[in-house]
Amino acid sequence: MKLARRQLLQAVGLGAAAVLLRAPGARAGAPTFPTRVVFYVQPHGHIPKAWKLAIPGGPSDRVASRDLAGLAPEELPPTLRPFHRLRGKILPIEGLCHTIALADIAQVMRTGGDLNNHQIGVADVLTGARALQRSGTYCTGGARSIDQELAARGMAPGRFGSRVYGYNYVPNSIVSPFSYLGPGQPSPMVSSPATALQDLLGLAAPQPTPQNREEKIRALRPSVLDAVAVEYESLAPGLDADARKKLDEHRALVRDLEMSLRASGAHCDVKIDSSGHEVRQFMRVVRLALACDLTRVVTFSAPVPECPELGYPAANTMHGYAHQSIEGATSCGTAFDPVAERAMIDLDAWHAGHVAYLLDLLDAVPEGDGTLLDHTAVVWLTELATPTHEHRDTGALVAGGANGFFATGRYVRYPQDQPNPIGGQPRTGPAHNRLLVTLLRAMGHADDTFGLDGAAGADGTPLSFRGPLAELLR
Amino acid sequence: MSGSRAHRLARLAVAPAVLALAAGFGGCRSDEPEPPVPTVGPTPLRRLSNVEYLNALADLFPSVHEPLPPLPDDGAVAGFENAVEAQRPSDVRIARYEAIASIHADAVTRDPASVRALVGCDGWATADAARECARTFLATTGRRLYRRPLEPAEATRLLARFDEWRVAIDFEAAVRLTLGVMLQAPQFLYRAEPAPAGVAPGSVVPVPSYAMATRLAFFLWESTPDDALLDAAARGELASEAGVAAHAARLLADPRARRVFTSFHRQWLGLDRILGDEHAARAAELDPAWTRATQASAAEETRRFVDGVIGSGGTLGDLLTSRRAWVDAETARLYGVPAPPPGTWAEVSLPPDQRAGLFTRAAFLASFSHRGGTSPPVRGNGIQLRLLCQLPISPPPGVDLSQPKAAPGEGPRTTRELFEERTRPAMCQGCHAGLNGFGYAFESYDASGRFRTVESGLPVDPRGAIRGTDVDGAVSGPVELSVALARSETVRRCAANQWVRYALARAPDEVEGPMVAGLAERFSKSGGDVRDLVLAIATSPSFRSMRVLGGEAAR
Repeated sequence: MKLARRQLLQAVGLGAAAVLLRAPGARAGAPTFPTRVVFYVQPHGHIPKAWKLAIPGGPSDRVASRDLAGLAPEELPPTLRPFHRLRGKILPIEGLCHTIALADIAQVMRTGGDLNNHQIGVADVLTGARALQRSGTYCTGGARSIDQELAARGMAPGRFGSRVYGYNYVPNSIVSPFSYLGPGQPSPMVSSPATALQDLLGLAAPQPTPQNREEKIRALRPSVLDAVAVEYESLAPGLDADARKKLDEHRALVRDLEMSLRASGAHCDVKIDSSGHEVRQFMRVVRLALACDLTRVVTFSAPVPECPELGYPAANTMHGYAHQSIEGATSCGTAFDPVAERAMIDLDAWHAGHVAYLLDLLDAVPEGDGTLLDHTAVVWLTELATPTHEHRDTGALVAGGANGFFATGRYVRYPQDQPNPIGGQPRTGPAHNRLLVTLLRAMGHADDTFGLDGAAGADGTPLSFRGPLAELLR
Repeated sequence: MSGSRAHRLARLAVAPAVLALAAGFGGCRSDEPEPPVPTVGPTPLRRLSNVEYLNALADLFPSVHEPLPPLPDDGAVAGFENAVEAQRPSDVRIARYEAIASIHADAVTRDPASVRALVGCDGWATADAARECARTFLATTGRRLYRRPLEPAEATRLLARFDEWRVAIDFEAAVRLTLGVMLQAPQFLYRAEPAPAGVAPGSVVPVPSYAMATRLAFFLWESTPDDALLDAAARGELASEAGVAAHAARLLADPRARRVFTSFHRQWLGLDRILGDEHAARAAELDPAWTRATQASAAEETRRFVDGVIGSGGTLGDLLTSRRAWVDAETARLYGVPAPPPGTWAEVSLPPDQRAGLFTRAAFLASFSHRGGTSPPVRGNGIQLRLLCQLPISPPPGVDLSQPKAAPGEGPRTTRELFEERTRPAMCQGCHAGLNGFGYAFESYDASGRFRTVESGLPVDPRGAIRGTDVDGAVSGPVELSVALARSETVRRCAANQWVRYALARAPDEVEGPMVAGLAERFSKSGGDVRDLVLAIATSPSFRSMRVLGGEAAR
């Protein structure tokens, strides 16, 4: 896909290709504004009772939904309350299952390996694939993640395939942050909003007509990159196949940068407020990146705040609270602590506040008859379903219409009617992989699967991960 | 799996056929007995790790002090940042290389004197003179950057660009732009080792001279070769074991070698884990004086410790038992010794009944603790995973990983008592007997790494046990534990294995097992002499040989 695009560019000449690709709506019937996607991914899951919205009269054996339009703020569950103003543009989803993680655990219980739930969750949630078990160290992502797949399909001159922002996941800094270029290859993540902004400005600034010697030299950066790429092409043939592949990938990225620098800069307001909480700073960078079409895919790996930020003692950690936060979650064998429950609900609300802030920012950017948010899917995910290491009955949220693709303004609940890959465990809802398939469809791709296409229940019943979640679509 | 193994063994079987060639490379006389074919695993293409790349730039351009944009993290595997299996490029990395190349090329061509120094000539007024200067520039600076003389085709390509840019702007601009190309070229960023022409795939051959210079420099300096080493390669001095040994000894005596010892131990033992955000503070009721400055000082203290101990000829055993310490005011407070003036470091001797080596220092003790208290299994995990090369399995799903606390109204209890109770079930003991045995011995230190005999008003019981090694048995506390581990073959085997892993940028292959075992044996016999081990690796037939790969994938 990527190669074909590059060949096309080379065939038709850079300038013409740049115009072709940058012209919005060039294809008949395509959306006027490009569809963008933001993943906001956090550790520790949600407290179900603070997430779940009752659906009066709703069936439990099939999909149920509830219109959010008529609800007052206090009628929304605490975690969803920060979205009240934008309730027409959100689509909270209850009851999906990280089936792939359960399948991973079932397998590792048989064969040995890294069984840490957090690590498996981090490895699986955006890849939809088995975690990569490695000798002598912890497991990691076993395949390219959905954001990087979309990035690879959507790159163009003058635009980054994706941006990955955020923080390494504490408490175990060995865990890498959700996004993977390929098996065992975490995506590089930018952890400073200032650096993230500098990266964008490098593409956003229009290339000036060189006025002096220094500017003439700067204007030759693409030529330098062209010469660099030629060196990669020249060195590779004398090497073995693996080495050639490595150099080819490097060369392709050098060519991408060269083409980006040759493309005229996006003329776009790049002023930004660089004050306040770092997460908010990042959210403003995300707005800029999407509004200026400098990327169409962003992944934000959310931090876990220190306890004092949420008003809890510094001696504790959110991770410590997590295991004691759900009444009756006996699998942990630990005493339920109402303070821990409140802390985790406050943590959920803290994340919800940041996501809602991003939605407000995107909704304030007019695009045609609507807003940037209307043309974007902001996807809020967690690596576990609950702070007590469950992987089933998750809470997920899609906000923004993705150009009229998602039927927002509703709360959707999936029934728990599928066999669990782990013996003796409760039945589950549909696989979360199908949400990833739905996002591929939202971005204009026809795929029927992403990651693995299925697994098996503990009793051997096949579980299919195929097809989008039709109930979410308009 | 078994198929690929069989395939590799088949390849090994054909290796004797190339012995004659190998002997030719090695300069052996025909009357010498044929050496055995070295065991050589795959040698995948290596990219410079971030540290190697930045060291190389600093060594090549010592006058450049401009701030550089941050590189994306290397995908470290088992702590090692040069791991070849996690070196996939990304758009961010390519953009950073471009920026850093531009910054350097600009900085070293800013004035005519700098340009003259860089190109090695001082007259370029005419087109002919400029071309001659450009050739000199590629022959000198080009050789330093590519770590070998440029191939004629490479020089021709670069000269064509150079001319184009010189005509478009001027000579100095052409130098700057051409330098920008070389700094981003695969010949600089990667360590390609093309096979000598006409050698059959699967053959094991000596590493060609310039590639050998590169192997030595990056292993012993974590950086690029200097001119002297490249000159030695040019003279063919790196073709023999004696030649390699002589140059390796020179490299090891250079100050640049010291950063390898600190860098290796940092990566192997996770000594920079203390710099993680979770260790920016300690709970206020435990240690309100712990700040970000303490965190940074704790990391720096272990760096100075490793540098000081190995730099003065110390052994691995010394690293595990020495009471020498280089402290500043922050770390002096933790160790209860007199503080040097703020901002300075001083060597002191720590109390013999309280401290012995790396694992009794704050960087380990605090980073393998929680901010609100110690965790014996976490510290035990640190010992098993890092020092013994034993991967503990992760806790099973659903177990309680929270810090155990005394129940309300129950009165104070020690951390040890709480963990003994928590991990008492038989299903826990499979792992925790080992983990806790190490961890309990470290209960003599609080979560900041300060020595203690009392916790919550109760006496601390630091009796522990070593399990899973050749020195198993009860220990009375952390000093005895460290002294016992310093004698352990298990520890020395792990160290030797990790040094090989670091040297090869990958886990040792199955076929390299006997080689690693031999190095471990030599390391033990030397009494844990780290420099001798490094020298042994650098001169080993395996390090000086490469397996020629064909066009097919290398497994």
